[in-house]
Amino acid sequence: MLKQNKTCTIAARELTSLFYSPIAYIILALFSLGLTLIFFRYTLYIGGPADMRFTFTWVIWLLMSLAPALTMRLLSEELATGTIETLMTAPVSDTQVIIGKWLGTLIFTTILMLIPIAALTVVLEYASSPHWGPILTGTIGLFLVASLFLAIGIFASAITKNQIIAWIFTLFLITFLSLAMQELAAADFLHPKIAIAISYINLNRHFQPFTIGIINTASIVYFITGTAFFLFLATLTLQSKRWR
Amino acid sequence: MIHVQNLIKHFGQTHAVNDITFEIPKGHIVGFLGPNGAGKTTTLRMITGYLPPSSGKITVADHNILTQQTQARRQIGYLPEHTPLYQEMRVNEYLHYRGKLMSMPRKDRIAQIASVHDKCGLSKIINRTIGQLSKGNKQRVGLAQALLHKPQVIILDEPGSGLDPSQITQVREMIRNLKGDHTVLLSSHILPEVEKITDRVIIIANGKIVADGTPTQLRKQVTKGASIILETNAPHDKIQKMLHNLNEIQSITTTQTSDQWTRAIITPTQDSQNIDLRQTIGNLALQNQWLIREIRHETASLEQFFVNVTQTQIHPQG
Repeated sequence: MLKQNKTCTIAARELTSLFYSPIAYIILALFSLGLTLIFFRYTLYIGGPADMRFTFTWVIWLLMSLAPALTMRLLSEELATGTIETLMTAPVSDTQVIIGKWLGTLIFTTILMLIPIAALTVVLEYASSPHWGPILTGTIGLFLVASLFLAIGIFASAITKNQIIAWIFTLFLITFLSLAMQELAAADFLHPKIAIAISYINLNRHFQPFTIGIINTASIVYFITGTAFFLFLATLTLQSKRWR
Repeated sequence: MIHVQNLIKHFGQTHAVNDITFEIPKGHIVGFLGPNGAGKTTTLRMITGYLPPSSGKITVADHNILTQQTQARRQIGYLPEHTPLYQEMRVNEYLHYRGKLMSMPRKDRIAQIASVHDKCGLSKIINRTIGQLSKGNKQRVGLAQALLHKPQVIILDEPGSGLDPSQITQVREMIRNLKGDHTVLLSSHILPEVEKITDRVIIIANGKIVADGTPTQLRKQVTKGASIILETNAPHDKIQKMLHNLNEIQSITTTQTSDQWTRAIITPTQDSQNIDLRQTIGNLALQNQWLIREIRHETASLEQFFVNVTQTQIHPQG
């Protein structure tokens, strides 16, 4: 019970500090603007399907560039200013620190995504009669993708006190898991079986079914284990800071 | 209250802390002194559990800092060097956050915040954003944060650094008021700052303890064996002759000042280090009707002693 409380305390602090910082509002504005543009370009046209599948497909690229900006300061800033020292000498575990920070940012990101999605759904409802299922599963899919991106981001942030490096490294890891895997799986010099194995690492491949209303257990497992893996790496990295 | 035993910490090849052992009883204020890079911060970080020692054992309030982490950490209030605080938070908010991390129930938190509010003089700043506070006020918040959960042990790393003289006096006053309720270990590289508030001073250099004692004891150690400086109107050959007759004196060097007085530097022998030669010399002067305008020990200040002990550690040959 107490254990959970401290994670929540850290999450709440992260969340409020996000709302204090201008970065959060810039990201919120950029995300809403981007999502709306994508929506008008790919969903709101005459004869288009009355769901947001193409919007969702594109939103992931938006998230890819904005999520690292949210996570880059999580630990890098604490490492640079030294506040990490008061945090890590308080009776909290390193796992609580990592999960708390990740959770706070995830809550913020969820709010960030839900606001424009809800608004655009209303627009869609006004223009036609949308399929609610794919919109719902797509949102769930986005949530899972966000949780993975943020876990990657906090891992990168635990490595360095330089926020720019954290940002670039997150972007690199995310690109590696999506674009690089996608292109590598399509390369003709690879044995087909290896290509298939590689395509399973591609996160876009796992996100795609969500946009058309399919909830795939394998994909859910992919996102959850991926998130857990990077949170674990982040905790290890934070712990290793003590031993240096 | 704090036990440190054979503490060693090395970073790669460098030994930051090299076999330190000390013990601090309950309710004492102890100053941890040394030049920059002596290993003060590293030692404090190990006591607070931020860094694990390479070897050695630390217990705080009877809890081992490594095996009983949570209990030990709950008994420690820590203010790191440079007072790191979350700039975007308000003081009140920050103290509540720290209280929650210490798992204090809401009622306790409110009561304790009110208590540190008075102790640290936060009345004017409690609702302000930390980032906008002056260095002195930040230090108040840092101290309040360290006291908040009523820890038995308070560890302050360079609490006076970067403050102006009046702020230093205020912080010193706050620390002095902690005496009795808390055991305090504070580090500094400025001796007079520590001397005024502590019961005991531990001086470290190059990761080793080079002196340990009350400020008075250290002062005695300083004056022990020190040369005596004498300025008198007697001619120098006379002084040489008279003083040479004393068994306690090893050597005398005399010089003439610009106004024809004699300045003598008198070194006592090894055996007579515990005798205060100033009385003997004073008597001699009285008998011979010399005028004396100065008579004192050469290294009378603790500062000189501090420089000496830390220097000899750093340059053993010189």
